Amino acid sequence: MPVLVAAFVFLTLLGTWELAVTQGWLRRLLFPPPSKLASSALELAIDGVPAGKTLLDHLAATMARIMSGFTVAVALSVPLGLLIGSRPVLDRMTAPVVGFCRSVATLSLLPLALVWFGIGEASKVFLIGYGCFWVMLSNAIAAMRLVDPILLRAADTMDTGRWRTFTRVILPATMPRLAAGARMALGVGFMVIVGAEMIGTTTGLGALIMEARTFYRTDITMVGMATIGIIGLAISAGLSRLERRLMPWMSTHAGPTA
Amino acid sequence: MPQARVPLHLPVRIIPDEPASAAVIRIDGVGKTFAGEQPGSPPVLDQINLEIRDNEFVVLLGRSGCGKSTLLNIVAGLEPASAGNVFVNGQRVTGPGGGKGMVFQQNALFPWLTAEGNVVFAAENRGLARHQARDLAGELLALVGLGGVSDKYPSELSGGMQQRVAIARALALDPAILLMDEPFGALDEITRNEMQDELLRVWEVRRKTVLFVTHSIWEALMLADRVVVLAPRPGRIVLERTITDPRPRSRSSLPLVQTYEAIWAALRHR
Repeated sequence: MPVLVAAFVFLTLLGTWELAVTQGWLRRLLFPPPSKLASSALELAIDGVPAGKTLLDHLAATMARIMSGFTVAVALSVPLGLLIGSRPVLDRMTAPVVGFCRSVATLSLLPLALVWFGIGEASKVFLIGYGCFWVMLSNAIAAMRLVDPILLRAADTMDTGRWRTFTRVILPATMPRLAAGARMALGVGFMVIVGAEMIGTTTGLGALIMEARTFYRTDITMVGMATIGIIGLAISAGLSRLERRLMPWMSTHAGPTA
Repeated sequence: MPQARVPLHLPVRIIPDEPASAAVIRIDGVGKTFAGEQPGSPPVLDQINLEIRDNEFVVLLGRSGCGKSTLLNIVAGLEPASAGNVFVNGQRVTGPGGGKGMVFQQNALFPWLTAEGNVVFAAENRGLARHQARDLAGELLALVGLGGVSDKYPSELSGGMQQRVAIARALALDPAILLMDEPFGALDEITRNEMQDELLRVWEVRRKTVLFVTHSIWEALMLADRVVVLAPRPGRIVLERTITDPRPRSRSSLPLVQTYEAIWAALRHR
């Protein structure tokens, strides 16, 4: 039922929009109606904008950049974060740096990234990686710090070895927070990518949006936006499902009370 | 790892293990002062001496803050003593584990493992192969009355059921001694009384030396072979009573009621 209501609201909004344009309340050039967006999406998917670069090409380029930056960031930040989180001294030492670097808006590094890594792929992957890294790092630190000490005490009273304590107690205990951090980091990646792709490339959803502006193709800009939104939503939903699969204990709270 | 890792910072001096003695647990002149406490304030524990025999069920009783849980943690090897020593089976306690099973007040089960998984974890720790561990887990969960819910996660179980799993998990280690830190303290009184009966039933089947901490006088009277009463500031033993009533006990038994009065007299205004 909630799904139906949500769909109804969504369709009503689209219908109103369409109506507003056909009635001349909104200018077609500035607010291309949904019907126009649909045909533009088709054009983009088949012929491509600029010619030859289809929506799929743009999407693939964008995803490749996000995933490389994200993967590198996670691979570096999780071990480092767990280490920092395990020692209060390290946490106190690094907290200001982490807080500072995390607060620097990633896109403000764009000029530096271009100087350091050139206008090719490296600067884009760097920006994604930077954004993902600090979000993931602070979540990994928190995940480690928030491991309930009583679980470690319990493990100690059961003669659990150090390695087994790490793999069978600490890792599962940190997993929910790590998963949440990964989801946040990926969200940051999607936010950063559009800006990162605005310079030095014609492929990628960010580049597409920028190019379309140059040719007054507001419709293409909107299709690009919508694509990012849909992909982000799909990935987020996919990750939630994966989390429920990997962490079945997190989704079960009902039970007998006697 | 957050604080709880426990390499004990005991002073480096050689203390020989004890010669064979009748006591399974021997607490010898144990004192405890927390670092950072004002000089001159009374110690948390002062000169505690206690011997616990094989298969004896001893209850440490006292109000909150009397140091009874601290004493239990020292016996468990989870906290170092500031003075004195604890010996288990003649071996000086220097850290947790090594046959000292522990049941905590609550929430010490691994939430990502099922009831069975939690017990299997402990069983594997003492070297059992997976299928042996699972057999043992099945047996122990049945013993604590949880045969039907072994595939449930702790969050799906009631507080009482969680503590049953915790008891089964501790038993899976086949420990020499069982340390219980207010294991029923978070349960409602009705469930708590049921759990006391259950614990005694399990204890009849799997005899262990038990050191059990509580602040409930009746809980102590229903369970113990011997009640050791602690008073705070400084934490010290003020009364010991051996209880000879056969189990299961009745709360209307005259000797028990008289012991209750004696313990109450020792505890009030302290």
